[in-house]
Amino acid sequence: MFVSLIPVVVRGDSMEPTLRDGDRVVVRRLGRAPRAGEVVLVPDPRLPARSLLKRIAAIRPDGALLAGDRPEHSTDSRQFGPVDPGSIEGRVLFRYAPLRRAGRIR
Amino acid sequence: MAWHDLVRPRVAYAHCDIPCGIYDPAAAKTAADTVAKMVEKIQGFSGTDEASRNNFVRSVAVKEEHAQICKRELLILWTDYFKPEHLTKYPNLHDTFWKAAKLCSKNKQNVDAKAAAELQTAVKEISDIFWATKK
Repeated sequence: MFVSLIPVVVRGDSMEPTLRDGDRVVVRRLGRAPRAGEVVLVPDPRLPARSLLKRIAAIRPDGALLAGDRPEHSTDSRQFGPVDPGSIEGRVLFRYAPLRRAGRIR
Repeated sequence: MAWHDLVRPRVAYAHCDIPCGIYDPAAAKTAADTVAKMVEKIQGFSGTDEASRNNFVRSVAVKEEHAQICKRELLILWTDYFKPEHLTKYPNLHDTFWKAAKLCSKNKQNVDAKAAAELQTAVKEISDIFWATKK
């Protein structure tokens, strides 16, 4: 079966208040080009084995600019530059745990 | 076991780089306190025997060393920890750091209890800002 949904647990607080440390979310693989404003799962360009969750601040000719929703607690494109949009694995769809905050992520 | 442990999620980082967690103004504070203590000791020396002169020179060396350590620790906080977003909330941040770094130099060059106290105050101010950003 082709798995297009990936369960992911969040580490860190750079995406607060959207995502909190320990939140569990479902990421859906993108079948299209990523768009600005989407919260995405993407390999850290400095260490591809590590995955990052960030928001796409902008799509530019030289790549996708990633930013944390809480910039003062974030390491993102300000440090490592734009990333290849093709490397973006998927988009965060919804949070499934904790249940009381379950729901769609925008 | 919680219900959500039935699926094993991948870990993804919505993080700030790991060094973020290890910044601490405590090192600068210890250095500034050491400088103040050494100034106090240097000004208290009166003996002219070998042991006294040895201790005098040692105190001067420690004062200079810790003034330098204080400056280095402040610069790490200034250039690595603080980010542009902090400036909007603390518009005097650059000035505060610049003056504190200058005070480190002043304390290195001189034996000045007032300058040592000013350095302690400046480091305390930076420390307060640092911890406020951690909230």
